[in-house]
Amino acid sequence: MKKYLAIITMQLINNIAYPGDFLGRSISIGIFLFIFAGLWGTTFRIAGTDSINGLTFANMMWYLMMAETIELGRPRTNRIISEQVKNGEVAYILNKPYNFLMYHFSFGVGDSLLRVAMNIGVGLLAAWLLAGPPPSLLGWGMALVTLIGAWILHFCMMALIGLAAFLVEETNSFELIYQKFVFVLGGMLLPLDMFPEWLQGIARALPFPYMMYTPARLFVKPDVELFWQMLGVQWLWVIALVFLLAIAYRGSERVLTVNGG
Amino acid sequence: MKNFKFLIALWKANLQAAMEFRSAFLTQVIFMMVNNGAYFMFWVLYFDKFKAVQGWTLQDMMLLYGIAATAWGTAAYFFGHFTTLAEVITQGRLDYYLSLPKPVLLHVLASRSIGSGMGDIIYGIGSFIISGYLTADGVLRFAIAVFTGVCIFISFLTIIQSLSFWLGNTVALSQIALSAVLTFSLYPSALFNASTKFVLLTIIPAALIGSVPAEFVRAFTWQSPLQISAGAFVFLLLAVTIFHSGLRKYESGSAIQVEV
Repeated sequence: MKKYLAIITMQLINNIAYPGDFLGRSISIGIFLFIFAGLWGTTFRIAGTDSINGLTFANMMWYLMMAETIELGRPRTNRIISEQVKNGEVAYILNKPYNFLMYHFSFGVGDSLLRVAMNIGVGLLAAWLLAGPPPSLLGWGMALVTLIGAWILHFCMMALIGLAAFLVEETNSFELIYQKFVFVLGGMLLPLDMFPEWLQGIARALPFPYMMYTPARLFVKPDVELFWQMLGVQWLWVIALVFLLAIAYRGSERVLTVNGG
Repeated sequence: MKNFKFLIALWKANLQAAMEFRSAFLTQVIFMMVNNGAYFMFWVLYFDKFKAVQGWTLQDMMLLYGIAATAWGTAAYFFGHFTTLAEVITQGRLDYYLSLPKPVLLHVLASRSIGSGMGDIIYGIGSFIISGYLTADGVLRFAIAVFTGVCIFISFLTIIQSLSFWLGNTVALSQIALSAVLTFSLYPSALFNASTKFVLLTIIPAALIGSVPAEFVRAFTWQSPLQISAGAFVFLLLAVTIFHSGLRKYESGSAIQVEV
């Protein structure tokens, strides 16, 4: 366990070395929120109502702030694995006395921590200016708890895509498609509450809403019963995807071709 | 004419290079089309619920996406270094281009091709076709809108990245500028207040790539073609002037660079 903590710390220190770069990247959350404030402000005004499907303008903005924070803070494990396969570095990683997947998990945690913190900081400022004060402490608590499961689900998916690099080397295209599934079916751009009934049913049967919608929805509309229900399903997905990842890793090891290094 | 022949030769070489990895190229093209389509699902769901926003309907958004995607794809496929010019400058890789008797800016920009740009072009044209604005004069207006959009995309990013000549590494700033111009270009400027609209017509010219050209295709007025043509001309002039004055400041390292 110590060695994985060391990897997390090492990656965290690496990132702290470039705070300006990180802050610059976080500005995109401000751009995103500004655009959506225009869209939803106009939509609410035209609709002539304070609430659409139970969500107010402020709920919508804080929902989007949390969703964008998750999107920008999720691990980019597939890109790292893909790069390591292409340049042969994977041979050195596989030789080391740690588990390959746990190495990437720890690396991802260290990488995400500062990014999530920075995005929450910039997002908080932007959303507060655009939509007023943030949700209650209960909302923050429920969001933070479900963020852990959401992050693990993201990691599993990114690692699964990354393992495809053992076969096809370049995985960016797969990531793009996965990202769009999360954008739409995960409820990043539009909360599931706004979907037609039939699409809500499909989305809820998939893991995507538990990566994005769950923390963002509980953040703006904390509900104890819903929290336990969503948390339960989220962790069922975590167990299923971790299991799938372990099987995929065993299979991938056998087909890896190392290019040198 | 001489420069045009040179461009054709560069594009031919880029295509030949892409064809060396044909399946990778095709995968990029197809995935980019699917990616754009999936992203557009947001608007399908939005208009399923709200029908119209400030006079913009689903068909209008298809048109806007059509113009912006085709313009972005054309810039990316034919002038691929327009997103990475800052890296070329800061890494001292302009040496190669300076040593050849060809226009430096044109040569740098067109010496890289982003394969996925072809996916954007195909998606954009498809989106325009199904938007319902496919008439003879609609096609002409669409072509003008795309042309000015390509000029503005390339010029704006060239201006921002040319700051590397004075400020050093501006890769992060370039990424923010790229993200801002691309994201704002995909939304109708009617959503924003007057001061934001002014910014989107000048400092971050996203409205000149998305909204205004889309309005030009939707219904002809003299104002919109004048706005986009003037915008394209001014940004192009600024880009060439700033890049060349920066070039006088250019200092390369002693690293040996190989341009393939």
